[in-house]
Amino acid sequence: MQTLREFTRKTKRGNILKIVREHYLRDDIGCGSDLCQYCMQNEAYQLTSQYEIKSTLFKFPHYIVLDTNVVLDQIDVLEEDVLHNIIVLTTVLNEVKHKCSSIYKRLNELIHDRTRNFYVFVNEHHQDTYADREPDETANDRNDRAIRLAAKWYDTHLQASQESKAFQRTARAVTRVVLLTDDAGNRAKAEAEGILVANAAEYVKSLEDFPLLVDKLSQKSFESEKQALPQYPAHLSMKELLDGLRQKKFLQGNFQASRENYLEGSVNVEQYEQGILIQGRESLNRAVDGDIVAVELLPESEWSAPSEIVLEETNVYADDVPSEERVEDEQDMLQQVQAAPAAERTPTGRIVGIVRRKWRQYCGILQPSLIEDTTRHIFVPADRKIPRIRIETRQADKLQNQRIIVTIDSWPRNSRYPHGHFVRSLGPLGNMATENEVILLEHDVPHCKFSEEVLSFLPKLPWTITPEDYAKRVDLRDLHICSVDPPGCTDIDDALHCRELPNGNLEVGVHIADVTHFIRPGNALDKEAAARGTTVYLVGKRIDMVPELLSSNLCSLVGGVERFAFSCIWEMDKEANVLKKRFHKSVIKSKRAMTYEEAQVLIDDASETSEIAKSLRQLNRLAKILKRRRMDNGALVLASPEIRFQVDSETHEPLDVEAKQMRDTNSMVEEFMLLANITVAQHIAAEFTECAVLRRHPKPPPTNFDPLVKAARYQGFEVETETGLQLAHSLDKCVKADNHYFNTMIRILTTRCMMQAVYFISGSLQKEEYFHYGLAAPIYTHFTSPIRRYSDIMVHRLLAASIGADSTYAQLLERKANEELCNNLNYRHKMAQYAARASVALNTHLFFRGKQEDEEGYVLFVRKNALQVLIPKYGLEGTLYLKSDKDGKDGLERTKSELIFTFNEEDHTQRCGNVVFHSFDPVTVRLSLDSSNVQHEKLVFKLVKPYIKGFSVESDNTAVEATAANSQPPAKKTKKDKKKK
Amino acid sequence: MAYVALSEAEKTFILHGVEEDFRCDGRSRRDYRPMELETGLVSNASGSARLRLANTDILVGVKTEIDVPNPLTPEFGKLEFFVDCSANATPEFEGRGGSDLAQELILSLQKAYESSLAFDYRTLCLIPGQQCWKLYIDILILECGGNLHDAVSLAAKAALYNTKLPRVTATLLDAGVTDLIISDNPYDCTRVGIDAVPLLVTVCKIGDYCLVDPSAEEEVCSTVSMVVAVSMRNNTGRCGGYKMLRPFITKFLSTAYLSGTHMTGGGSMHRETMLNCIQLGLSIGEQLNSLLVKMLKAEEQRVGPKRPKTVGFLK
Repeated sequence: MQTLREFTRKTKRGNILKIVREHYLRDDIGCGSDLCQYCMQNEAYQLTSQYEIKSTLFKFPHYIVLDTNVVLDQIDVLEEDVLHNIIVLTTVLNEVKHKCSSIYKRLNELIHDRTRNFYVFVNEHHQDTYADREPDETANDRNDRAIRLAAKWYDTHLQASQESKAFQRTARAVTRVVLLTDDAGNRAKAEAEGILVANAAEYVKSLEDFPLLVDKLSQKSFESEKQALPQYPAHLSMKELLDGLRQKKFLQGNFQASRENYLEGSVNVEQYEQGILIQGRESLNRAVDGDIVAVELLPESEWSAPSEIVLEETNVYADDVPSEERVEDEQDMLQQVQAAPAAERTPTGRIVGIVRRKWRQYCGILQPSLIEDTTRHIFVPADRKIPRIRIETRQADKLQNQRIIVTIDSWPRNSRYPHGHFVRSLGPLGNMATENEVILLEHDVPHCKFSEEVLSFLPKLPWTITPEDYAKRVDLRDLHICSVDPPGCTDIDDALHCRELPNGNLEVGVHIADVTHFIRPGNALDKEAAARGTTVYLVGKRIDMVPELLSSNLCSLVGGVERFAFSCIWEMDKEANVLKKRFHKSVIKSKRAMTYEEAQVLIDDASETSEIAKSLRQLNRLAKILKRRRMDNGALVLASPEIRFQVDSETHEPLDVEAKQMRDTNSMVEEFMLLANITVAQHIAAEFTECAVLRRHPKPPPTNFDPLVKAARYQGFEVETETGLQLAHSLDKCVKADNHYFNTMIRILTTRCMMQAVYFISGSLQKEEYFHYGLAAPIYTHFTSPIRRYSDIMVHRLLAASIGADSTYAQLLERKANEELCNNLNYRHKMAQYAARASVALNTHLFFRGKQEDEEGYVLFVRKNALQVLIPKYGLEGTLYLKSDKDGKDGLERTKSELIFTFNEEDHTQRCGNVVFHSFDPVTVRLSLDSSNVQHEKLVFKLVKPYIKGFSVESDNTAVEATAANSQPPAKKTKKDKKKK
Repeated sequence: MAYVALSEAEKTFILHGVEEDFRCDGRSRRDYRPMELETGLVSNASGSARLRLANTDILVGVKTEIDVPNPLTPEFGKLEFFVDCSANATPEFEGRGGSDLAQELILSLQKAYESSLAFDYRTLCLIPGQQCWKLYIDILILECGGNLHDAVSLAAKAALYNTKLPRVTATLLDAGVTDLIISDNPYDCTRVGIDAVPLLVTVCKIGDYCLVDPSAEEEVCSTVSMVVAVSMRNNTGRCGGYKMLRPFITKFLSTAYLSGTHMTGGGSMHRETMLNCIQLGLSIGEQLNSLLVKMLKAEEQRVGPKRPKTVGFLK
């Protein structure tokens, strides 16, 4: 049987088309139940009588039909291994797919899990359950009707099967079908039609055996809650928003909450370079970080400036009554801001509606409740950009010291905090594995095990090189190739060699692991690698992009073993001028895998005359020439405080911290990798003008340098930022005899002014925009680390195709697809960096547990109420609060805060008596871990030197009691996640 | 034109029959052959109709598109006719054989629809000067059994009646630019007004007499025929100041009036005969129109707003 579906579409060009699709109805679609005696069942029964759910509401065996709203809201409940025998209608599946792709994915996983007995019933194509749209019926109503129709059909169908004598003899209770819906209208109609129906909450509560499942119910509205007064302005309706956006009355953008101040955020809008500032609780109007929102600009007279205050929310109670204290606190902040000088004011707006929520699951902890035996709790997310979330749980005691995951369900107007529900627990607080999991989840790093399908594409062991392989590749096994890497590195992806040619020139080769030999385009392994994008390095843990067999074995260029490589070979003269270059796939046998230190020793040891030592010396000499040449071109030497942890191999706890050392050999390897990257970039950009994968680093807009220029000016230095070359030169001049760390700090500041370097497709930009600012290279790409970066795999494939070493495939040249890949890589790359930093921060905390150290540091920034202090030894940055917050928790702090620091806007200094803090001033601070709050440990900075009476801690250890009664305001939290360059 | 070979004797027989007001198939000179009409049978089109008049078989589909109004008539929508003479109808249509006939049909339809009194182009306008509907009326001649003009115009009118335009609302953007939003309910449609839409009536002169609805054989006997386009006045108030004349005008012109004429065939026509032809055409056209509208309404009532189950054709 056939019917037609008609609908109208608007095309991109504005035309309106009537589209008609044929739709076939069948009579051979099985119901999937083992009770059925009529249907043709084509496979194993999904709906079996093996599971019976005990519900007080329906005291007989039953199957469940879900309404779309139940799937969308209660997916967490469904994911629990409790409910079985669930019928998923295609109507529901389509609606879910349309409304929320992530939930659709999760539902699909459930459906594929055969142990869960989810049966997809293709009701849209079943001749008895197809519902044609009636006139004057909305699409939604039609879907509801289709769901009811299917539920009713199932019930009668099964009852008919169970009427037989044979069944009655078994004396089993008759299985019925229950519809779960949260839509009151649909429910009423279903009841009228004689369908067994319940809403999700009722049903879950009626499950006798699983009382804890109730916690996972999505809380669209807390029951039995007295209607509190609205605390927020209402959001506009979707239609009003779209109309407003169309008329340019509102602006649409991505909302970003401020890390430092919970009453501030900004919305990135296309037309505005800095984004629109949003201040105050009412203007923020329930936007959560990441949401796409509609903003209304305020009149210019009400514009304001970003406050420089660090403000953290306090006095959070689950009772949700607006306290006067908080109101005062908020008004205070606003007043302060409104007094901002006109010059600093930026476009300010207020959020009028949410275009799309980007809520996800959040990691965090429960805030201990003041009231005992309550089910309502406040959840504190680990990410400070996310507001506290109210949840209902009965297992608070159990969850108290655990990292848990919570998701937001709704944020009604009358609630100060969003409502959410508990999803799952990650493990005990402070546990290394738990904390790592938190970091990975918070940074959206895919870290689950590689699936069987992915692993199936790995080469079979034992893996050997076949004669065909030798035939296709250049044999470089006799060359004295060696690799130089950090200690403990197992994924070695580059190796080098250098030898003298008979004509007196030098042959230099860079050999990169040939990962693309193993990862063939388009298979599951390739897709997984593309999705992961990069290997993520946490302290003491690595999340591989490709399975370990490849990353640490077959691809890794370990010493003394034959491996496949992709070689880039130059002929150079003694002055490091490239005369010839060539690329080919090869077989190499690294003579030795060295650490930077070993290589350095080999170079320095004059008695060493082995081939490797000689070639290393040549390489080192050439690298120095290359580096000088690069610097002359205006490449920047940037600095960021980087540290390494020595991690206990057993407990994974950090033992010691050290700043990373730079040796000559580091720079040697780096130079040749840069050269290889640039050479390959030139080659592929010339071969594939439209689809080469390149990397660019845009020149920062001049305003980015403002903080740097200002900071240097206070110190009497002029930083020129016109061109990269000028900047490099002026940075070199910023040297202070009495402060040897000054130059490094200036460079750290410069790093923060930089833009993010990104991957892009050559066809998408003009040639001039290919420029890599930091390296001062007109063109650049990533070629040298295919084991840990997917971009390099793409480049390898392009290069291989261009030299005929590998076959091409359609997707290789598809610009659109590659562009999407690049966007994903950029995102993953950024997230991997953040995750690595978060991991360092975490380990710093662990390191300081139970320790107290006085360390030398430098003032990096002077803020209105705090000093930003950098500790070079640990690469650590933190805030030293000077003024106590007005809402200081205990009276003690308030009474003692009569010490007055005066902030000087002109030259950014803080003065207290005769002590003046400038930027870059050396200070000594005491570091300790404040564990008073078990949930959120924080590093506390306390001033030791210069000494200010009543503020600084005594430098000797006798002052321990003094510390307790110190007027030190509550240093909230260290600012570890420094801003991205 | 499709050609039927007739002998002199056959022609004389037909001629005498006409003189006697008793045509070969038993009709009088004012009679039409029975017609079969079905609408809404092409689901892909916005409106469609199929008309079978004895052996003449016409299928009309109406497609819609958004267009920009002509700057001279910013408040008017657009209408375009296209006639396809299928080679199935007669072998002579093969290749470019039917193009002359098609052109002739298109022209006479265009002329009949040209006046804004005959077709209210304003109803097709969405935003004056910016956006309007453009209707493509595609006419497919499946079989040729004489009297194509009449059949085509009847089918076109029926298809227009059947046409459903999705309801469109406009929102104003910056700088006067507008954006269209379509309703998501497929049953939420606007209709095209067909009250005034003209019909073509071919008045065929055989010997000294005029007759309507000539069969293919009769067409061969005719030396000249006149295609009279008859439009309906849906508002008698249009007579305006001639209040005194109104009873006379309404009686004389009734509600039907001429919206175009067009001569076919090689012969000529006396002025007297021509007036007679027009007179005949008007009165026949009026009857035809009232019957057509009645039947269309009856069909719609029977089928309801949902898509009909197609009967008889393309099932």
